[in-house]
Amino acid sequence: MKQTPELDRIQELMQPGVISKDGFLGNDTRNLTDILADDQRIVTNLGFTHQELANAMEELTEVGKKAFGNPVLVRGFLEVTVDSSKGKMASPFGGLFDKENVVVVNKKTGESIRWTTLNIHMIRDHGFYEGKGSYFRVEPEDLVRVLELYVG
Amino acid sequence: MSVLITTSIITAIGVFLAALLTLAERFLLDYGICKITINGDKIYQVRGGNHLLGSLQEQDIFIPSACGGRGSCGLCKVKVLEGGGPLLPTETPYLTKEEIENHTRLACQVKVRNDIEILIPEELFSIREYEAKVVNFKDLTYDIKLISLQLKGDETIDFVAGQYVQLKIPVYGNIKEEVYRAYSIASPESNKKQIDLIIRRVPKGIATTYIFDYLKKGDTIFFNGPYGDFYLRDSQREIIYIAGGSGLAPIKSMLHKMIEEGIDRKATFFFGCVSGRDLYFVEEMKSFKEKLPNFKFIPALSNPNPEDNWLGETGLITEVVDRHISSDGDYEAYLCGSPGMINASIKVLRSKGIPEELIFYDKF
Repeated sequence: MKQTPELDRIQELMQPGVISKDGFLGNDTRNLTDILADDQRIVTNLGFTHQELANAMEELTEVGKKAFGNPVLVRGFLEVTVDSSKGKMASPFGGLFDKENVVVVNKKTGESIRWTTLNIHMIRDHGFYEGKGSYFRVEPEDLVRVLELYVG
Repeated sequence: MSVLITTSIITAIGVFLAALLTLAERFLLDYGICKITINGDKIYQVRGGNHLLGSLQEQDIFIPSACGGRGSCGLCKVKVLEGGGPLLPTETPYLTKEEIENHTRLACQVKVRNDIEILIPEELFSIREYEAKVVNFKDLTYDIKLISLQLKGDETIDFVAGQYVQLKIPVYGNIKEEVYRAYSIASPESNKKQIDLIIRRVPKGIATTYIFDYLKKGDTIFFNGPYGDFYLRDSQREIIYIAGGSGLAPIKSMLHKMIEEGIDRKATFFFGCVSGRDLYFVEEMKSFKEKLPNFKFIPALSNPNPEDNWLGETGLITEVVDRHISSDGDYEAYLCGSPGMINASIKVLRSKGIPEELIFYDKF
């Protein structure tokens, strides 16, 4: 799919070494517009919206943040650890975000998933989960499975 | 078919013309010498065509910027009163409505194409770039390092305890452009030849990957500064210091200042860690205690391991502060750490009746 010059500019900022060391695209060679469209399809098929997934991530992040790096048990089976650093992380879409790494372990299944505060913003406001192979890529299916999110 | 061919030809012509325009702007357009007037009275002559941030840097005027001028951090804000051209879409995400109304722009996005008039804080004139040698590199914990930088030649730096510098991270690995990152100075302000920085590794971070994996003792590194208005206020109030992780750095510098200047105000330093492996500089803090009779150091572990054999305070640092601070004291507080810790600490301090204007912290 053809991409707008604005998305071209943003995709440039997503390259390794521009905003972050490894960039936001991993080994994904698709256009940003295709990455966004494919993830939109996946999320819709799962029965969710980007906002709903971002809200679920944010809710856990907010609880975890209050423990200053200690693990917190949420809903009885999700162990949430938020590691915060000083400084801000720039978004390729614009804006500055706190440097927070979140790890959630599902204690029932042992599966885990990680994200950053920046991921939450990029998912909620732009439907961007990062490219395939990116260290901080949030797979929508993994997110729904590990957090045990249900439609409705 | 003919529609497709026509569209392709038009697209190709468009791309060609755009490329030509870019090349023409770079090589043919000569904006000549432009005048930058700063704060109404300082005038600099620069060659036109470059971004304002770089043009100012060439005149040894450093505007804080974390991304090295790529328009991705939004820190290099200046007020452009005249000659900056229209606001660009690359700037608007970083500016509030009020900032746009009062002519704030990103210096890295504004091109100097004609005479231009700007306003910047006066203190930025005292900021300089320094060349330094890494003379000490020490692990303080599994993810925190102490780095000592000795200024080259006859250079000296004047800073106030609590201020920070911006380290220039050079091009390395797949990093194609220089970036800058802010770190607080941990050493005494009396040492004008060397500064110590305390740096915590950020997973996948551009700057800390370079510092932890590439930088070696003996290497040369550049930094600019000093920046910030986080410094010990001159008063007789009791001092509360609260820090976590690498946030200990500016507090340590302030404690050096108290010793060197004989400031004997009551002071308590609450240092929050998760477990024993995160604790450092405990011996140094004990030695401060010997020199500052009214100083108390209270480290606290929120989740000590059995092998820590921890007999000190336990709990979140905010809970520990809450237990130790009374509601009727005459305090002022200095905080350094993650935004989450700072926000939670402010809440506790405010609940103890400490007014917001007596709670100080860095916003970077």
